[in-house]
Amino acid sequence: MYKTIIIDGLAFALPLLIIAIGGIYSERSGVTNLALEGLLGFGAFSGALFIVFLGGHFSQNSNIPIYLSIIMAALGGALYATLFALLCIKFKSNQVIAGVVINILSQAITTFLTRQINQNFFEQPSDKFQIGVFPRISIPVLKDIPIIGAVFDNFYTFNIIIIALLAVTWYLLYKSAFGMHLRACGDNPQAVDAAGIDVEKVRFKAVVLSGALSGVGGICFAYSISANFSPAIYMGYGYLAIAALIFGNWKIMPTFVACLIFGFARSGGNELAKFLQLSSSYLDLTMTLPYILTLLLLIFFSKRNRAPRALGEIYDKGKR
Amino acid sequence: MAKDYDYIIEFRHLTKRFPGVIANDSINLQIKAGETFALLGENGAGKSTLMSMLFGMYEPDEGEIYLRGKKTKIKSPRHATELSIGMVHQHFKLVENFTITENIVLGIEPKKSMIGIPMVDIKGTDIKISDLSREYGLDVNPTDVIEDVNVSTRQRVEILKMLYREAEILIFDEPTAMLTPQEIEFLLEIIRNLKEAGKTIILISHKLDEIKQVADRCAILRNGKLIDVLDVKETSTQTMANLMVGKDVSLDVAKEDSVKGEVILDVKNLFLKNMFDVKIVKDVSFQVHAGEIFSLSGVSGNGQMEIADAIAGLLPIDSGEIFLKNRKINELSIRERTEQGISYIPEDRQVYGLVLEFSLANNLVLKSYYHEPYSNRHILNDEAIFNHADKLIDNFDIRAGKGKDTIVRSMSGGNQQKAIIAREIDLDSDLLIFVQPTRGLDIGAIQAVHQKIIAERDRGKAILLISLELDEIIALSDRIGVIYNGEIQRIADAKDISREEIGEAMMGVAKNA
Repeated sequence: MYKTIIIDGLAFALPLLIIAIGGIYSERSGVTNLALEGLLGFGAFSGALFIVFLGGHFSQNSNIPIYLSIIMAALGGALYATLFALLCIKFKSNQVIAGVVINILSQAITTFLTRQINQNFFEQPSDKFQIGVFPRISIPVLKDIPIIGAVFDNFYTFNIIIIALLAVTWYLLYKSAFGMHLRACGDNPQAVDAAGIDVEKVRFKAVVLSGALSGVGGICFAYSISANFSPAIYMGYGYLAIAALIFGNWKIMPTFVACLIFGFARSGGNELAKFLQLSSSYLDLTMTLPYILTLLLLIFFSKRNRAPRALGEIYDKGKR
Repeated sequence: MAKDYDYIIEFRHLTKRFPGVIANDSINLQIKAGETFALLGENGAGKSTLMSMLFGMYEPDEGEIYLRGKKTKIKSPRHATELSIGMVHQHFKLVENFTITENIVLGIEPKKSMIGIPMVDIKGTDIKISDLSREYGLDVNPTDVIEDVNVSTRQRVEILKMLYREAEILIFDEPTAMLTPQEIEFLLEIIRNLKEAGKTIILISHKLDEIKQVADRCAILRNGKLIDVLDVKETSTQTMANLMVGKDVSLDVAKEDSVKGEVILDVKNLFLKNMFDVKIVKDVSFQVHAGEIFSLSGVSGNGQMEIADAIAGLLPIDSGEIFLKNRKINELSIRERTEQGISYIPEDRQVYGLVLEFSLANNLVLKSYYHEPYSNRHILNDEAIFNHADKLIDNFDIRAGKGKDTIVRSMSGGNQQKAIIAREIDLDSDLLIFVQPTRGLDIGAIQAVHQKIIAERDRGKAILLISLELDEIIALSDRIGVIYNGEIQRIADAKDISREEIGEAMMGVAKNA
């Protein structure tokens, strides 16, 4: 049983993590990002769109379209995030309101387009894009290690992609000059400006990157949870990612831990329901576990955590 | 080092205008390479504006800047940095959750390569910063995080930022305003080290003793005009103080002698700390009687604003006691103090005095809306509020485009101030605290405010006036307390103290004499 908890837990925690890292990029640059939900949805939609139109051009058993769809999801997320960045940075609108608008708009547009495309191109009234199942692999030898071997057993290969992205994004945020500028923008944009760096440019890049990462997370959710894209993708995982990054104190590694806790709480809840042989309607109840956990954790930990000092502050050059 | 110029900096007829004011009026000034040059003047004399033009923050309206003998247009602070000019602002520009080294290298990060991946080299730079810090006696630890270090250290980080960028001309804008006496000594020592290393230093200040200690020459600015350039060694602080304050402007207000009544406000042994836990008010005691105007005179940043905030309840008291009509008010909330009889006209009228997005009528009942007749059982009574507004607008000659419905943000500064004064006087409190009541107002509005203050005194109110304008203090006060460095230097009847004596006490000169 623990095996299922670990396997399913990771399959949930890692996409959540990559979305949360997207959020960290945006928020550490000083832009409040409630739009993660919309960004992951739009990213998943873009990836799925690629599959339904071009997936058929590849050979039957090829995994290439699946991996390409991840890139398309990242591009779609980035493109949609550009809209969010324009609203927040170029037009200096309220970031909270812009985020909520982006979420609502994303759900409306993708639902509408999915239906229309299904009707007009495939002549079937459906709000789903079938995208297939993501390949799973096991690593021999390692998977036979007691308990932690489950990590290497029958896992989605996107786990590897996300772990690689984790390394890259960690490096970029903490070790590169760009990351330094980004983090400085979230603390004291005036200081960044005085150092001759364009605050708005840095924030723009950060928000677009956050969209790309959320898109990757979104398509991974679409593959692992339902094997299709449908409006059901808007389940609040974007908000859960925000909770994870707040719980992780806007730092990548603690956020990783937070996502693991959420992931295992979710898979553990599922297993618990099965173990108690509850009817499937109780599954909905156990599904609330990560959210209840979120509430509890936030109550206890959010006091100690500190948001980036300039978070949500619209940068105005004239202001001193 | 051969030089083909006489002066490293030369201003020729430099003029800068802001709406309604000439901040710098055709300034001609030459600064030699390697000297420590002080800019002396009261608040608003134009010192900061002049330096802002040198640092590329403002563009001059007229005149030219010659840098190292060449006519130069300084386009931006970044451009100024490229021209080896550095500036330590009054408000530091530091990233709080970065280390000292990270702050210093921000924007010009040194790179290193690890297994082929480029990275910002912080560790390697720590050593370089350490060396630089030791060279000039700055004593900072490069790996400390800014949010953990005090104001003085932050300032030294700003100095290091300039040095790391190899600045030759270093501008300090009021560098000692927020420092303790020990820290000031330390800073002055650093400035001497920098001069020794051949840097040209420009010091904006109004603290004469500091200028006397480190500067070679000093320029005195008043009302945007250059009054004189003096050799500091050969000039007494007295002369400098007289030149700085000037005697030509005076606002005469007709007033009778005061009829002094009972003690209304009694401040005993007050100690206050600011947000950095620095003692800013030390053992201050004074009394204000009914029917008199008592003023606290001092240069900005010597603790007088904090005293007003503490009396009004905005700033917690470290130790000491405040009595209002013989009742201790230390523990009372702001509203309770208002009800006990304190009216407060704060320095920052737009932040503490008004709700800018509210109508004038609503602003006029900000401190009384919860009383009858303005509300009945928690429901606001618009009619009463409007009538009240119309009455005050009439009595205090508040000019607003749409009368009581005007959104306060759209009103002029003078009328905003009149609105606050109207509201506070209308409370009929026994004590009125005026902080900088005429800041930013034009002559007409200033006179109107002054007349109101005197009218209230004549009605038997106790008035505490805190102002940075010596003219205002002299025009209005019955008794004057002079504050310097958080301590009252002397308290005297206005009749018994001359402008020069006040000026000296404000500079802490009298104490040494």
